[in-house]
This record gives sequence, structure tokens and C-alpha cells, in this order.
Amino acid sequence: MNDEQFLNEQVDVVAVFRPGRTMCEPVRFRRANGREVTVTEIGLRHPTTQGKRMVHMFDVTDGEADYRLEFDAERLVWKLVMEAEHDG
Amino acid sequence: MMGSTSRTSLDTSSSDGFAPDCERGLCARHNAGCRCRSDETPSLRAQSQHNFAQPSVMHIDLNSCFATVEQQARPRLRGRPVAIINRRTEHTMIITASYEAKARGVKLGMSVKEARKLCPDLVWLESDPAKYKYVYHQLMRIMGDYSAHIRMKSIDEGVIDFGEATSTTQARDIVEIGHEIKQRLRDEVGCAMRCNVGISTNRFLAKTAAGLHKPDGLDVITQDNVREVFAGLDLEDITGIARRNRARLEAVDIMTPLEFLDASEETLRRIVFKSIDGTKWHQRLRGWEVDKVDHPLRSAGRQYVLEQYKLPPDAVLQRLHHLCEEVGWKVRSQGLVARGVRVHARSYDHAGRGWRGSYWHKRIMMPTPFFSNQAIYEIARQLFVDAPYPLKEIGVTCYELSEPDDSQLYLWGDELARERAVTSAVDDINQRYGTRTIVSANTVQTNAFLHAKIPFGSTRYM
Repeated sequence: MNDEQFLNEQVDVVAVFRPGRTMCEPVRFRRANGREVTVTEIGLRHPTTQGKRMVHMFDVTDGEADYRLEFDAERLVWKLVMEAEHDG
Repeated sequence: MMGSTSRTSLDTSSSDGFAPDCERGLCARHNAGCRCRSDETPSLRAQSQHNFAQPSVMHIDLNSCFATVEQQARPRLRGRPVAIINRRTEHTMIITASYEAKARGVKLGMSVKEARKLCPDLVWLESDPAKYKYVYHQLMRIMGDYSAHIRMKSIDEGVIDFGEATSTTQARDIVEIGHEIKQRLRDEVGCAMRCNVGISTNRFLAKTAAGLHKPDGLDVITQDNVREVFAGLDLEDITGIARRNRARLEAVDIMTPLEFLDASEETLRRIVFKSIDGTKWHQRLRGWEVDKVDHPLRSAGRQYVLEQYKLPPDAVLQRLHHLCEEVGWKVRSQGLVARGVRVHARSYDHAGRGWRGSYWHKRIMMPTPFFSNQAIYEIARQLFVDAPYPLKEIGVTCYELSEPDDSQLYLWGDELARERAVTSAVDDINQRYGTRTIVSANTVQTNAFLHAKIPFGSTRYM
């Protein structure tokens, strides 16, 4: 079973920047359809590059689905790039 | 216990702060802070005996690395059977399975289709190399905090040599450091991350120790407990002993790891391995370090299982060209040039060999070195003329790698300089704007099929 949906959706994000495991913590985001998602846990934050441009990938969950947010550190844009609901 | 070992005397001086008898295991402080070290060069006579030095090598192995990283990234997958694959088809092989999947009989190398029969609720995910690379770098950073002498053996395992660590680190209990590293991995990467830690006097025994209690174990093998540990293992549980070496050992009635340990150096060298390898095994099993060797890069290659049955030759050559571009980049990224090209293919075989097909390969050594994608592809394409279509898998490898020798003047030096300048400019652009920003027009369409994969075995390209 694999129910990952790959997206390219710009989202509004409330994030906290503070020292810790991930340094930057998206706490809530609003999708293009207006639905608000409250992040309950950040699984992993890993940086990667698109050419020389640094982007940070955040794998997060709201307890009901897993999401991947991409933060473009050069353009300061947040995108929702993946949604998955693994409910067995 | 160590009934078969006799302890020899060594000329060790106490003037440098080391206990005079520590290498013999007779030091009273041996297990309580004596700073005897396993990497000091012992005499040949001493190497025929067991190494009773204090363990100073730590092997760290991430458990089911890629599956664990995915379970860390996606909390909702924790506790569930997860398999990592390289391509989203039912026939692709599983490259990593989580412990939950392994408990249900899912094994590496099994196809997704087979695995789903055993475990219908298996979640399969396509590998995400960037994520694993990040965890690899985090592990390396944590390990580097304890010693400058670390060696990553692959993307999910590494070795710390405390023999050359600072005196402050050496004064600490190595088992305590092992527990600290496990905790730091959980704190700094994520709470689902687990690793196995093995500690011993050499890399081989440290790796063996790391495999004893999976997942999340920490074990120490010393010459005091090595017999007890080996008694619980099978010959093929020993790293480096697989089917062929097992057959060699069994030919002289060495049926268990304990019998392997007790075999004389002469038996192993002259009868079993028929080479210096026998001597190395004799020392390795006794805790002496023989694997602290850096191997130069001898070849660089890439292979690809074709996405479609019976692709026409033109399409296969496009994919071969793509592989040549990746191999060319691998060679140049290490500052090397190649002299040989080897191509291989696996064809669909209707003569009863099933899906594995028959294997074909061809290679050529060139009189002068080459480095550009175009040069590699030209050679590979000519070799591929004899390939037995229809094909299932193709691959290309550059070998005889060496540093460029610019002292030799060539008659066509200008052309060579132009080729080098163009290749270098393209590499710079690809590095700045992303891999495959500039590629041959022939391979523009293959981007959709050939994705970057996890570099198993080598961490040179990380």
C-alpha cells in the first residue's frame, strides 16, 4: 500500500524559529482550499539543494495524515509537496 | 573462557604511562582505566596470540536504516511494517524492511508482490536519498565529536577509532560513550532512531558485536568473552564468510566459528585460504587490527533495470548514454580519469532461466585516458553493438582510474584542452544549478526514468 499524493501547493505557514532539534518548527498551515492543519509532531527536517538553492523539507503530521512541507530558504516560500494517509 | 590462549611477554615500556604488562592482559588496571591501546604494532609473535588490549574500536550501525528514517519522518508509520523500494512497481525488490516487516517474514531482495502475500498491510515507499544522506551526515557529526578518526563504512554504518582520540575521551568509559551516542541520535535526529553499537579491539570484532542484539543493542567483545560469543554463531554469521569461504573452511573440518578461532595460522594460510588472507583471518579473529586500510577508487559504475519489456535498441542506447553521463560525473568528481570501459546487460531469456535472464558483458581498455561523458558513451555504444536484445538490465563501469597525467604532451593537445574546458564548464553549471541542468540532447527524455539512487557500499559521492 502506498497512498502518497505528490503536490505543489503554496501554503500559508505559522512557524517558530528556536534552538532545538529542527531549529524551525512549522506549527500550523493553511491550504489553498482554506483548510487549516495544526502540526502535532515534526518527524524530520532535512535540508537539500535544488541547484545551489537550499530548501528545507519538513515531514510533519497532524495525527490524521502525514505531510511534507518544503521551505525555500532563498525565496522564503512554503509549499506543501506531499500528503499521505496511512490508516492500514 | 580463554583456555587455548597462552600469554606472551612483550617489550613494553612503562615510561610513556602505559602499564608494562597491559598488552599481555596481565595489567592489574587492565579493565579499570589502563590506557593500553590495541593499535600499537605488536610483534609477529604477539600477533599469533590474542589481543587483550582494552577495546578501543566502536562500530555503529543504524538499524534497518532507510525504513527507520521513514518511520522517524512519518510518525504514523511507527510500529507498522514498512518496506523501502527503488521503483514504484510490484516487481521491484525491497532494499530495506522495518523490523515489524521482518518479523512478518519480509526479507530484503523479495519483490513487493511476494512481500504483500506475507504481509498484506505492508506500506511500501520509494527511497528518498536526500533524507538518508541527512541522517548519514548527522551520524557522522555525532561520531566526529568523539574522535577525529572516524570511518564511514557505508551510508548506515561507521567506525570510531578511540585509539587516537584525545586523552580526555580515552579516559572515559567506552561503553558509556556508546550509550551516549545512542541517546544523542534520538535527541538530535529523532526519537524513533535506533542504532546498534559494537565495541572491541578491532573493526571485525566490533562489527560482529554490533550484530549480536538487533535492534538497539550494545555489546562488547573482548578476548575474555569471544569464545562465548562465537559459540552462539554460525560460520556465515561472521562478516566475510559466505558460501564459498564456508565451503573452504568445511573442507578442512572447520564447521563452527569456535573451530575457526582455534585453527592455526598455518592451516588458514596454507590450506584454507592459500594466501596471506589466512594470516589476516588468524589475526582478525584474535582481535588484532588488519582492516584499517584505505582502498583507492578502482572503478565507478551505474546500472539500470529497464522500465519496459522489449525496449527498442535506440531507447536502450539513450538510457546507456544517461548512465555514461552519471558515471562520467562520478569519475570527474573524484579528480580522476579512466582508461577502461565495461558494459554489461542482462537479457530476457526464453531458454528456461526465468526472469534472471542471461548475463552478457564486454570491455575494452583504451591506449589513452579519457574523462568526458561523450568519450565514455562513444566507447560504450560501440561495445553495445553486440548486446543480446531484448534486454532487461544494462550497466556501464569505468575502470583503471587514475589521476590525470598532464606531463604528457599530445599531438592533439588543443582538442583535449577544449574537451576538458567544455566538460569542466558543464560540470560547474550542473553543480551550481542542479544535476542534469545541462545534458546531452539524447538524454533529455530519460530524466523521467533514471533517478538518483542510494550509493550503497561507498560514501565517496555523499
